[in-house]
Formats: sequence, structure tokens, C-alpha cells
Amino acid sequence: MTLLLGALTLGLLLALMALGIFVTFRLFRFADLATDSILTLGAAVTAVLLVRGASPGGATLAGAGAGILAGAVTGLLHTRLHINSLLSGILVMTGLYSVNLRVMGGSNVPLAHVPTGADRARDALQYISGVEVWSFSSWEIPGGDLAVLLGILGVVALFGFGLYAFLLTDFGTALRASGDNGQMALAQGVSAPHMMLVALMISGGMSGLTGALLAQYQGFADIQMGVGTLVLGLASVIMGQALVRSSSLGISIAGAVMGSVLFRLLVSIALRWGLNPNDLKLATASFVLITLVLPKLMGSWSNRKEAPHA
Amino acid sequence: MLDLQGLVKTFHPGTENEVRALQGVDLRVEEGSFVVVIGTNGSGKSTLQNAISGSFFVDRGRIELAGQDITRWPEHRRAALIGRVFQNPFSGTAPSMSIGENLALAMRRGERRTLGWNAFFRRSEELTERVRRLGMGLEDRLRNEIGSLSGGQRQALTLLMATLRRPELLLLDEHTAALDPRAADLVIRLTDELVREGRLTTVMVTHSMPQAVSLGDRLVMMHRGRVVADLRGEEKRRLRPGDLLDRFDEIRRREQIDPSVAEMLRETYV
Repeated sequence: MTLLLGALTLGLLLALMALGIFVTFRLFRFADLATDSILTLGAAVTAVLLVRGASPGGATLAGAGAGILAGAVTGLLHTRLHINSLLSGILVMTGLYSVNLRVMGGSNVPLAHVPTGADRARDALQYISGVEVWSFSSWEIPGGDLAVLLGILGVVALFGFGLYAFLLTDFGTALRASGDNGQMALAQGVSAPHMMLVALMISGGMSGLTGALLAQYQGFADIQMGVGTLVLGLASVIMGQALVRSSSLGISIAGAVMGSVLFRLLVSIALRWGLNPNDLKLATASFVLITLVLPKLMGSWSNRKEAPHA
Repeated sequence: MLDLQGLVKTFHPGTENEVRALQGVDLRVEEGSFVVVIGTNGSGKSTLQNAISGSFFVDRGRIELAGQDITRWPEHRRAALIGRVFQNPFSGTAPSMSIGENLALAMRRGERRTLGWNAFFRRSEELTERVRRLGMGLEDRLRNEIGSLSGGQRQALTLLMATLRRPELLLLDEHTAALDPRAADLVIRLTDELVREGRLTTVMVTHSMPQAVSLGDRLVMMHRGRVVADLRGEEKRRLRPGDLLDRFDEIRRREQIDPSVAEMLRETYV
């Protein structure tokens, strides 16, 4: 049960990043490789501020803000200096590694003795309910874990619906059109490069926020914590799309969240069954490969079936 | 009114791929005039359109539209004044967005994009009405993705989008060339209707002789980056496709003579 709870919490947390990747990857077909480093950046900024006595809310916002700035750098490299999209991401990713070390003043920052957002959530739930340990039939759940889960759920719901609403505004519609057909956007008076920059800033902000919350959830920031998260986010978005099989905007966004949670559950089940944690990244990469290739294979199979005389 | 003065554009200057696409084009299109531009391949007629729409900046010359010097305006800013339909039916619409959302986008062409709900929510009755007048039955499918439509339907919608807000200039770049004859016919009829109704200043590039003859009130023929003929009024009305072909032949003959004359002169004087 604790396993399930942890997987759910982590899955929802990473769903925030998946929402950002949804914007860049699904809408603009842009895989920002800097995502890994931006997540660490958000964690680093938040952790350092918390250690220096900042409030969890302020520190989290600062982490997200740092992510927005980092996303803007990738965006400017690509849209203003016309550097290839992958290369812009790689440059920012590489540069941020040093920035992150500088921010943290070392390769990790423990948060064991400072109040974090997780503690705030636990206190709040305890204050409201007066219960310390929740029991559901035979399972006992510490109030802190439940509070974090509920808190994250709230944040994901907020950002999920927020993103959906944003994409239905005039500005958001123009943003989607820029990703869908840049030429058309220009002809309608929308600067497509500008919109791509905005998309990368949104995505960067979401990655920074994810890092900020992740650091508070696990109780430390670490220089390695972002490694492989972009692939994970891509996996969530792609899997979510495969799950919902719909081009409707709202359902696709929900799909990205569901994909992230499902992916985490699969990972924890695999670990439970004895997958060596060292093999986890390889398993993740293979899994993403399969989710990318499988729909195409299925497509060509069904085509063959539909057109037997061709 | 559109006023082009001495437009010059050379692609890849100083290389062996150098193309002198526009070599001093002067053209003045009066308010409400419908100009058809024809020319051979590589004559610069599409380059001229792209120069006006702002796909690139001209090397020399000046572009004035509706009293404003737009020579140095970026493409997306010019869109506030210019409605465009492209040759490729896929270029003018966002395929994974719905018909309604595409129209909503066009509803605010050139305006600031705000955080209010898009026009598909706010003014959907008005949009539905405009689509109904196309007479294609698309008004019942406003929530469908544009990508599911045929080329002709998409081109008709692009045309509607280009004119949804009255443009100071409508640019049509061989917008029926990629369509089958029936769809092309429909789009041409729609073009004529919308241009007449809105009394829109229009510049249309075409390959089709019948279109060049039957549409518009003025015909401009381009060749090698220059305007070589400019027919209007009675002269344009009397024009037949055969006359156009004769003109093209004449230009070609003149070109064939030129090198031989040069050769003769060289032999005589050098």
C-alpha cells in the first residue's frame, strides 16, 4: 500500500512536468533536452532558499521562476539565433549542470531539518481533520503521506485545468496554431517563433516547479535527480495519447497525467518484481521506444488487413 | 491602395545559384481593383507576392499599403492588412484544430491575442452564419478537425478566413492550382463572389489562362522579374485566351532573337 501511495504521489508530481512536455512536444514537436537540467535547477533553487529560511511557498515559486528563465534561454537560442532545436536544448542542459552545482554549492542539499511544503501539507491536514494516521480497512496511512498526495493532486488538477483553459483562450489558440502550422499562424498575424518561446517558457516553468516539489517531497536536492526525466515525461505523454486515443484537447491533457501515473505504477511494480534499479533507465528507454514504434506497427498491420488486394 | 516602387530582389547573390527574381517592379493597385498576375515559370510572379506578404525583405524599393510604408514590417505584422490564400491547401489552415478554432483565429487576424475565450466561444453564431454562406454544409461540422477535409474545402475555408476581417489587400497565390477541376471551379466562383461583395483590393497570381481572362479588371504579365504588359479597362475585357498565348509567344520570339542579334553585332563590330 505504501508502495502504491508512493507511486501515485511521484506519478502525479511528474505529471506536472508531463503537462509542460505536452505543450512543447505535442503542440510544437519540440523535445527540449534541457528539461532534465531544468528540473534539477528548480530543485536546487528551492532547496537552497529553504535552507536559508525562505517560506516553502516562496521557494517553490522561485524554483518555477528559474525554470521559466531557463526555458526562455533554450527558446531564444532556437528562435533568435536559429540554433537547431536539439542543440539548443543540449547547450542549455550542459550549461545548467555548472549553474546547478554553483547554486547548491555542492552536489546535493539535504532538507531534513527545514520545514518544507510537505510538512506544511501534513500540518494543514492534521489541523483540519485532527487525525494523525488514517486507516482504510486494514491499511494504515500516515497523515503526512496522505496530505502530500492530496496536495499534489490539487496542484496537478489546478495546472491541468489551468492549461486546458489557457489553450482555449485567444492567446492559447494562437499558440496551438503556431505549433500546428507556423505558416498559417504568420498569415493570421501571429508570430510563430514568439509563441514557441512562450511554449518553452511554460514547459520550463513546469519542470522547475516539478523539481521544486520533488526536492521537498524526497527531502533533498541532488545534481543527478533530473537525469532521464525528459524521456520519462515523453513516455507519459506518448503513453497518455495511446491510452485516450483522442485528439480532443482536454482528454489529451488528462491522458498525459494518466500516462505519468500509470508509468510510475508500472515502474514500481517492475521494481517489486525484482527489476534491478540499475537497469531502470534502460527499461524506461526501451519502454519509450516500444510506445513510439508500436502504434506505427499496429497501423501498418491493420492497413494490410484492410487492403488485402493491394 | 497598394503601391510598389522599384522592387528588386536577388536570391543567393554572388553565388552560381544567383537568381535575380525581381528586377525593378513598379505597380500601383487602386482601391477595390482586382489584378490578375500571369507569367512564365520563374517570371517572378510568386516572388512578387511573397515580397508583398513579407516572407522576405526586398533588396531595394518601397512597399506601401493603405497609406503605410510596410517595406520593413515583419510578416506577422503585415497580416493585419493582408489576407492570404496559398497554392498548397495545407498551408492556410491548422490541420489538427477544428474548423471553428481556425475561424476564431482568423477573426482576430492582426489583433492582440488576449486571455479571453477564443472567438469560437464568444461569437460562434456569427462564425456559423459565415460558414453557412459557403454553401458546403460545413456549418454542421465546425467541431471537426480541418485535417479531415478535402483540399477544396480547406481552400474555401482559407479564403473565408482571409476575408473574415476585411483585408486591405487580398493575396491569392495560384490558389486553385493544386485542386481538381470541380473544386477549382468552386473556389474561383467563391473568390469572385467574396471579392465583389467586399470590393476587396486583390492581387491574384494564376497559371490558368481562362481564369486570367475571365477574372479581375486588370491583367499584369510578368517576365524575368519585370512587368512586361499591363492591360486594363476595355483592353482587359476584350482579352481572349488566344491573345494571351500570342503575347507569350511574342515574348519568347523576342528572346530568341536577342542572343542572335548580339552575336551578329559582335561579329560586325569586334
